[in-house]
Amino acid sequence: MTRPNTPDTLVSVKIGMIDTPFQPMLEPLSESQAWYSWAGYKSATSFRNVDLEYFAIRNQATVFDISPMCKYRINGPDALRVMDRLVVRDMKKVRAGRVAYVMWCDEDGMVIDDGTAFRFAEDEYVLFCQERTYKWLCEIAWGFDVTVQDWQSALCGLAVQGPCAFSVLKDAGFASIEDMKPFDLRQVEPGLWISRTGYTGDLGYEIVTFPDHAPPLWHRLREAGQRWGLIPIGYEALDIARIEAGFLAPGRDFQPSHKVSRLHRGRTPFELGFGWMVDLSTGHFNGRRALLEHAAKGPRYNLVRLDIEGDAPAGNAYVYAGKSFAGHVRSAAWSPTFKRNIALADLKAPWGKSRKKGLWAEIYVEQEGVWQKRNARTRVVEGPFMNIPRARMTPPQAY
Amino acid sequence: MTYDAIVIGAGHNGLTAAATLARKGARVCVVEKNAKPGGMALSGTLDGVEMPRMAHLVYNLNPRVLSELGLSNVNLKPLKTVSLSPDGNHVVLDGNRATRVDGTPHPEATAYAARYDDLKRFSALLAPLAERSAPGVSFGGRKLDKFSELMAAARIGLKLKLLGRRNMREFLRILLSNVHDYTLDELSDGPIAGAMAADAVKGSWSGPRSPGSVLSLMYRMSGSGPAHVMGGIGKLTEALAEAAQSQAAEIRSGAGVARIFVAEDRAVGVLLDDGSELRARTVLSSIGALQSLKLAGVEHFDAETVTRLRNIRTKGTAAKINLVLGGVPTFSGLPSDLLGARIVIAPGSTYVEHAFNPAKYGEMSEAPVLEIVMPGQIEPGTTQPDRHGMSILFHYAPHDLEGGWTDAAHARLLDITLATLDAYAPGLRQLVVASEVLSPARIEAETGAPGGHWHHGEWSTDQMLTTRPASGLAHYRFAVRGLYLCGAATHPGGDVTGLPGRNAALQLLKDGACA
Repeated sequence: MTRPNTPDTLVSVKIGMIDTPFQPMLEPLSESQAWYSWAGYKSATSFRNVDLEYFAIRNQATVFDISPMCKYRINGPDALRVMDRLVVRDMKKVRAGRVAYVMWCDEDGMVIDDGTAFRFAEDEYVLFCQERTYKWLCEIAWGFDVTVQDWQSALCGLAVQGPCAFSVLKDAGFASIEDMKPFDLRQVEPGLWISRTGYTGDLGYEIVTFPDHAPPLWHRLREAGQRWGLIPIGYEALDIARIEAGFLAPGRDFQPSHKVSRLHRGRTPFELGFGWMVDLSTGHFNGRRALLEHAAKGPRYNLVRLDIEGDAPAGNAYVYAGKSFAGHVRSAAWSPTFKRNIALADLKAPWGKSRKKGLWAEIYVEQEGVWQKRNARTRVVEGPFMNIPRARMTPPQAY
Repeated sequence: MTYDAIVIGAGHNGLTAAATLARKGARVCVVEKNAKPGGMALSGTLDGVEMPRMAHLVYNLNPRVLSELGLSNVNLKPLKTVSLSPDGNHVVLDGNRATRVDGTPHPEATAYAARYDDLKRFSALLAPLAERSAPGVSFGGRKLDKFSELMAAARIGLKLKLLGRRNMREFLRILLSNVHDYTLDELSDGPIAGAMAADAVKGSWSGPRSPGSVLSLMYRMSGSGPAHVMGGIGKLTEALAEAAQSQAAEIRSGAGVARIFVAEDRAVGVLLDDGSELRARTVLSSIGALQSLKLAGVEHFDAETVTRLRNIRTKGTAAKINLVLGGVPTFSGLPSDLLGARIVIAPGSTYVEHAFNPAKYGEMSEAPVLEIVMPGQIEPGTTQPDRHGMSILFHYAPHDLEGGWTDAAHARLLDITLATLDAYAPGLRQLVVASEVLSPARIEAETGAPGGHWHHGEWSTDQMLTTRPASGLAHYRFAVRGLYLCGAATHPGGDVTGLPGRNAALQLLKDGACA
C-alpha cells in the first residue's frame, strides 16, 4: 500500500548541526556567524576576529564551548582496572579528584586517540576525547565489572582560559577553587565540576555540568566576566594557542589508528614525543607487548616542534634534511606572542632526535595567483614553545 | 617443584602435546578436571556395555603422531561405509569402490571413484599444511622462520603444478566450493552423494550447500578413512597417556584448573580447583580458546584478541546417542555381515541439507543424519549375547536449541533417532534396553568444549590456518609468554588427529619456551 505524500503525512526530519546547550546564548554574540561542525554540533570558528580572540587568551579571559567533546563515563568496581587496561600510563597514580592526560593504543601500539581522564570518584571516570570511541571502550571493558556510557550529550562544558580566568570564576562565585593545582578536579556545586585544565597552555579551567545548568552558569560567567574582558572565542584562535602550547590535535598531528586502513600510518606514543607517559612496568595494558618491541627498536618517526625561519605559513610543508626528504609539517601557526613561525612536524627517524642539523622546510606561498617556493631553515625546539609560570601558580594570581 | 610444562585437559590433543614434550625430555604435568583422561575420545559404559562415549571413530588420525610417539599398540581397523537407502538399494563404500550390498558394482561406481580419487589427491596435497604451525602474517619475526614458512608454501605450490593442468584447475575450481554441487555434478542425489555430504559437514554448523564444505571433506579424507580403534576409542587416549607417563609425565585426573597464573607477563603455573598450586615454565591449554583466555585473565590480553576470540563461531550441532540393544537389529536389505560397517543414514545430499535447515532456527532435525557404529559387531568376541552397544552420531542438534536442552528435549531427540532407525531397521525400538543422549549442551557440560562443538570452533575457511583460532595467534603462542594453546581450537582443527597437540608442543620447543 502506498501512502500519499500529503502535507499532513510528511514528517519533517531535522537535519543540519545540533545546538549545544550554550548555543542559544552564544549565537547572538557572534558577529562573524562563522560556524563549523564539531562532531555534529554547531561550533564557532570565530566570533568576531581571530587575532582579538587569540590575544584575549593570552591577556584577558576567554570562554570556549567544549560541549561537543566526546565523553564517556566508566563506572563500577573495576573502573581503575579498565582505565589501566585502556591507557598507556599508570592510572593508579591518578587519585580521585584529579585529571590525567592520557593516550590509548591498539594491539600494534599505535595511538587510537588521546584525551583527558577525569577521576570523579574512586570508581568513576569520565573520559574526554576527540574521536567517538564507545565501541572500543566496550571491548576494553568486556569481562570487567563496569558500565560504559556515552555521555556526549549528558554533560556540557565551558573552557575558561586566560590570565584572568581565575578572577572571572572567583567573581562568579567559585572562589573555593583558589587552592586547586593544575589537573585538580572538584565538585564545587551540586552537578557542577571544575578542573584546572585546558588546551591553551595558559591559566585556565574547564567547567563541566548538566545541560539544564547551562543557562544560569553562562549568565553568571558573563556577568562576572565583564570586568575582566571575558569574550567567547572560536576554534581558530584556540588552535594557535594550542600549537604554542604544543598540544596535539588528533587527525592532524597524528592519524587515529582506527581511522586509517593503510599500513604504517599510525604512530606510537614514543613517536609522538609521549614516551614519558608509557609505563611498561606495571602490568599489561592494550598494546603493551607491541610497545615493548617499539621501545627496543626505537621510534620510526619523531613528532617535533620546529621554529621556521621567516613568516610564510608552513602548514603541510615538506621538510628536508639536506637533500633527503625527512617529513611533513602537521600543524603550523605564526605565534603572535613569541613572534615566531612555529610548527609541529612528523619527521622520519632519526631526524628530529639524534640528527637535527640541516633541516629546512619547503613552503609554497601563493601571492596574487602566483605560487612561490620558499626554502626556510628550521630549528628543532626542545621543550615547549612557551612556558608561562602563571599557568601553574597556586593560588593563581589575580590579574 | 617447577614443571617444564603444564598441560590443561587430557583429551587426545592435550595428551599428544604432553607425550611429545615428555619424549623431548620436558617435565610435564597434565591436569584433567574429569575423573578419567580421554576428553571426547573416551570409552564409557552403558548398562554394563562398554562403548565409545562421544567420538566413536577416527577419520584422519595422523600417522606421524602414532609413529613419533611409538604407539605401536594402537590398532586401527578401517571400516567400510554403508549408506542406507529407503528403497533398500544400500551402497557399500570401501575406499574408492562403490558396490551394492551383494558386492556387485554400483551403477555410479566409476563416477564415485573419480570423485574420491580427486579428493584424496588434493587432500594429500594440503596435508603438509596441517603438520606444521600455520604461517603467520605479521611483519618481523626471525628471518629463518619466515623463510621456512615461505618454503613450505612454495612446496605446495610446486606440487600443485606437478599435478598437471587438469588437476590443478580442478583443485582450484572446487577448493572453496560446496560439496552439494560438487557431488551432484556427476552423481545422483542418492546415498553416495548423501554419505559424502554427511562426511563433509560432520560436527559443523553447515550444510552440504555451505561454501567450503568440499575443503572440510578433503580435511576429513586426509587420513586413512573411517576406522575403529580396536578395544574402543578409549584405547587411543590410554595409549597416549601411557606414552606420556612412560617418559615421566604426570597425569592428574580430577584436577580442574581454576586459574592460570601469570606473573610479569609470563605463564608461571596453575591454580587447581582444590586450591593447590602447580608451578611451571610454560602452560599449554587444550580447552577452548576463549575459555583459556578467561583462565589466564582477560586483563592479560589486548582487547582486539579478546574480541576476536569472543566472535569465534562455536555452535555445536552434533549429539551423541548411545543405545544398548537386547538383540542384534536387522536393517532391511542389509546382510548381517555388514553390521560391522559404519552405517550412515544420509540418503541424499538434499536430505542432509534439509536436516541442517531446522538448526538455523534453533530446532533439531526431524529427519536427521545418523552415523551408526556397533562396536560389538566390529569386534565380535567382545559382546554379550543379549547386550549390544550401538553408538549413534546425530546431526543436527543445535547447541542453542529453542527452549533449551531440557529433559523433554533430550527425550524428543531420542524419539526422533529411534523413529528414524525404525524406518530402516523395523522393530529396533523394541530392542532398546538402555539409552543415553548427549546433546551439545551435555557435551559442553561434561568436557568443557565451547558450544559442545567437536572442533572447539567451526572449521571453516575464515577460521582455519593463520586465522585459527584468530588472526595474530597462528603459532600456538597465546599472547602471554610461555602460554600456548594446543587444542582443537587451533590449527589444523578438530577431529581426532592429534595434530594441534603435536604441533603446539613442537612450536613450544622451537621457541625454547621451557628452556
